[in-house]
Amino acid sequence: MHKHVVRAMNVFRLIGLYFKVNLASALEYRASFLLQAFGMALNNCSFVFFWYIAFSQIGGRIGGYDFNDVMFIWALCSSAFGASHILFANMNSITRIIVSGELDTFLLQPKDVLVSLLCSKTSLTAWGDFLYGFILMALTHGGDAQAWSMFLLGIAIGGLLMTAISVTAHTMTFYLGDASLIGSMALEFVINFCIYPEGIYRGVVRVLMLSVIPASFIVHIPLKLARHFSPGLLLLLLTVSAAYCCFAYVFFYRGLKRYESGNLIIARM
Amino acid sequence: MAAIEVEGLCKLYRTRIKEEGLKASFRALTRPVYKEVKAVDNISFTVEQGEILAFIGPNGAGKSTTIKMLTGILHPSSGRLSVLGMDPATQRRRLSYRIGTVFGQKSQLWFHLPPMDSFVLLGAIYDIEKAVLKKRIDELAERFEIGDLLKTPVRKLSLGQRIRCEVAASLLHSPDILFLDEPTIGLDVVAKHRIRELILQMNREQGTTIFLTSHDTGDMEQLCRRAIVIDHGRIILDEPVKKLKYDYMNRKIIAVRFTGEYKLKEIDGITLEKSGRLGARLSVDTRVCSIDEAMRWLIAQGGVADITVEDPPMEDIIASIFEGGGQSLGGGR
Amino acid sequence: MAKLRKYLVVTRISLQNVIAYRSSALGGLLFYSLFIFVFFNLWRAIYKGGEVTGYSLTQMIWYLCITELVVFGCRSGVYNQMNDDVKSGSIAYQLNRPYHYVMFQFFNALGNMVFNLVIYGILAIILGLIMAGPIPGFSFASLPFALISVFLGIIINFFFMITLGLTAFRLEENFAFYLIYQKLVFMLGMFIPVEFLPKWLQSIALYLPFSYVAWAPARLVVAFSWDLFWQVIPVQLVWALVSILMSLGMYSYGVKGIQAHGG
Repeated sequence: MHKHVVRAMNVFRLIGLYFKVNLASALEYRASFLLQAFGMALNNCSFVFFWYIAFSQIGGRIGGYDFNDVMFIWALCSSAFGASHILFANMNSITRIIVSGELDTFLLQPKDVLVSLLCSKTSLTAWGDFLYGFILMALTHGGDAQAWSMFLLGIAIGGLLMTAISVTAHTMTFYLGDASLIGSMALEFVINFCIYPEGIYRGVVRVLMLSVIPASFIVHIPLKLARHFSPGLLLLLLTVSAAYCCFAYVFFYRGLKRYESGNLIIARM
Repeated sequence: MAAIEVEGLCKLYRTRIKEEGLKASFRALTRPVYKEVKAVDNISFTVEQGEILAFIGPNGAGKSTTIKMLTGILHPSSGRLSVLGMDPATQRRRLSYRIGTVFGQKSQLWFHLPPMDSFVLLGAIYDIEKAVLKKRIDELAERFEIGDLLKTPVRKLSLGQRIRCEVAASLLHSPDILFLDEPTIGLDVVAKHRIRELILQMNREQGTTIFLTSHDTGDMEQLCRRAIVIDHGRIILDEPVKKLKYDYMNRKIIAVRFTGEYKLKEIDGITLEKSGRLGARLSVDTRVCSIDEAMRWLIAQGGVADITVEDPPMEDIIASIFEGGGQSLGGGR
Repeated sequence: MAKLRKYLVVTRISLQNVIAYRSSALGGLLFYSLFIFVFFNLWRAIYKGGEVTGYSLTQMIWYLCITELVVFGCRSGVYNQMNDDVKSGSIAYQLNRPYHYVMFQFFNALGNMVFNLVIYGILAIILGLIMAGPIPGFSFASLPFALISVFLGIIINFFFMITLGLTAFRLEENFAFYLIYQKLVFMLGMFIPVEFLPKWLQSIALYLPFSYVAWAPARLVVAFSWDLFWQVIPVQLVWALVSILMSLGMYSYGVKGIQAHGG
């Protein structure tokens, strides 16, 4: 047990280190950093506008959600996406890194390959996404402590789940040769199911959102918990999310074995 | 003591073959056909601690595959491998604390940041204590004369300056072995010379074992005492550079251009390879005729407009090893 | 005529190029279907909640199919292309070639757009029929006139994209402008018909180009009227002309910058 704690601490320290260097790198371009973050925040405003119009057309509830509910899932999705891309922006480049052989650099270092790989880049626009969620929460939920705590927890869980989705999709490169297309689409696909009330869907889609497309675990369940807290549901959320992340981690390392054996079918790009 | 021991090392790649056409695509999907390629074919050698070894050969000879197996990136198909007493395939992480790598084309420095920031990060990655790291950086900065460069973003450095920082970065954790894969590629003559001197100095003062792959005969001549030549995954030569130089790198190519019509009287050791109306390519056997002599002779012919002296390319040297194979093949294996 | 020919060759080659990249084309189709599916669900839920002015649910689904068609039809990557060409400096090599760079980019993208329009058009019809069924009272006779508007919408969008891409000549970071443009098109027509906007915003929107990219064509397809046609087409023509002139102006302004400062 002790060994695992030490290992986890090391991983956190590594993430922290990369974060600092990444931030320094981003701040080299201060003006563009602010502009990009601002642009992204503005970009997100268009969704609020859409919902404002939609609710003002009919009033009441859409798919079982009121305006504030929608703002909660939208804020959570935005901040979770932002957090994951501030810390792990390389999730989008995993295929390129594998195919170009850049992976070797990480294999030669004495630290966890996947963590180093994910952390070694940051995204400037992600800061806009991240902060935007907080602003939206402040405007719509003010001092609602329960909502805020679920929002913060949701950022951590959602950010990790989003990363796990990207990692899993890109890891297919180890098996298929070039999974850049699947990799670039997987997260966008899931996010499309994150930003609308789950109540607009029926039957099969709802089941998918609780399994293959874990959208409900990213936003809808945290919302449920923010409105009506239940320890059982929280436990379920934590367990399932942990399982997803473990799967992605193991899947990556299984794929890496193929890389090390050199029997990778890599399509030249 | 041996730093690297390799015995009967093999690496097989399995590549899927697919014939043309849609039908074959479907067949390949259900019953894939594989072809095995031997990238490294039963090679054995030992590198002593403190040695500088050149590992050379043409593109696709198996150099990179070997270096990747030695550093633990790739796992061997068969054979025994020991680097500093460890098995790279199973103990990659432990080994990584004690080896350094510079892969010419891949940078470990952050492009937009000054090298100093990368050094600090690498220090943390290699678990070097702050005080120790600071001392080490100062030491390397002085030796590599990069003190002023450490605060400049990497993107603003020249290639030569970058490579110096790159090598310094790989030495932060005081590795016992330094793997250099094409370290001087793309550098000009002065920068090449500088890097070579630094590598030699590291070797002399800290006893760092150097394992170097290169295309550049100059790297081998000026740095190494021993060279292993590899081709098609097999070692075709393993002997002191001095001998290799005498046996195979005994030619220089002189390209010369004249101001008008010319006539050459051949002498011993110089053969005319190609001649045009105003220029010629000459091959000089340096065992018979020194460059100095060759130049005097050439000037004496009169009307010289331009002269270029070059080493024959690595591919030619390897071809000549194959031709004269009988006499020295025995030595290495 | 000969002058036009070289541009048409460019178009043909770019068309072949898209077909060669089947997999990414497939990805686009998937996302088109996904967007329509998600919004189909969303609008169904909204219509269940109450009355919506001006559009029946069937019309609304078809409206989305068309606006998305315009946007996906324009996905030629021209903004990124321009941006990269300018930032990498490779545009300098294009300057002294015997064609006009902006026109080259247009015809280069045209192949892409023609392909996209055909493929997404077919998909739009299939998805519309599955999810919404035929529009009651739809007249095929007026469809060709509505398609003129679709075409003009694409032209406007395309040349605004070029203009934005070319701002890279003078601005290091121009991505924010791209986002803002995109979202204005998004808010003032693509997902929300102009009729849904508050009255004061409607009157502003009708004086701006953004609604004429997606709203006008889609409205004409789902609820054609000659009144609307004559109201919309002249405005679209004006904006098309303005966007083309802007892109040419931005180009020569940028080129002057290169010639003055050496890139």
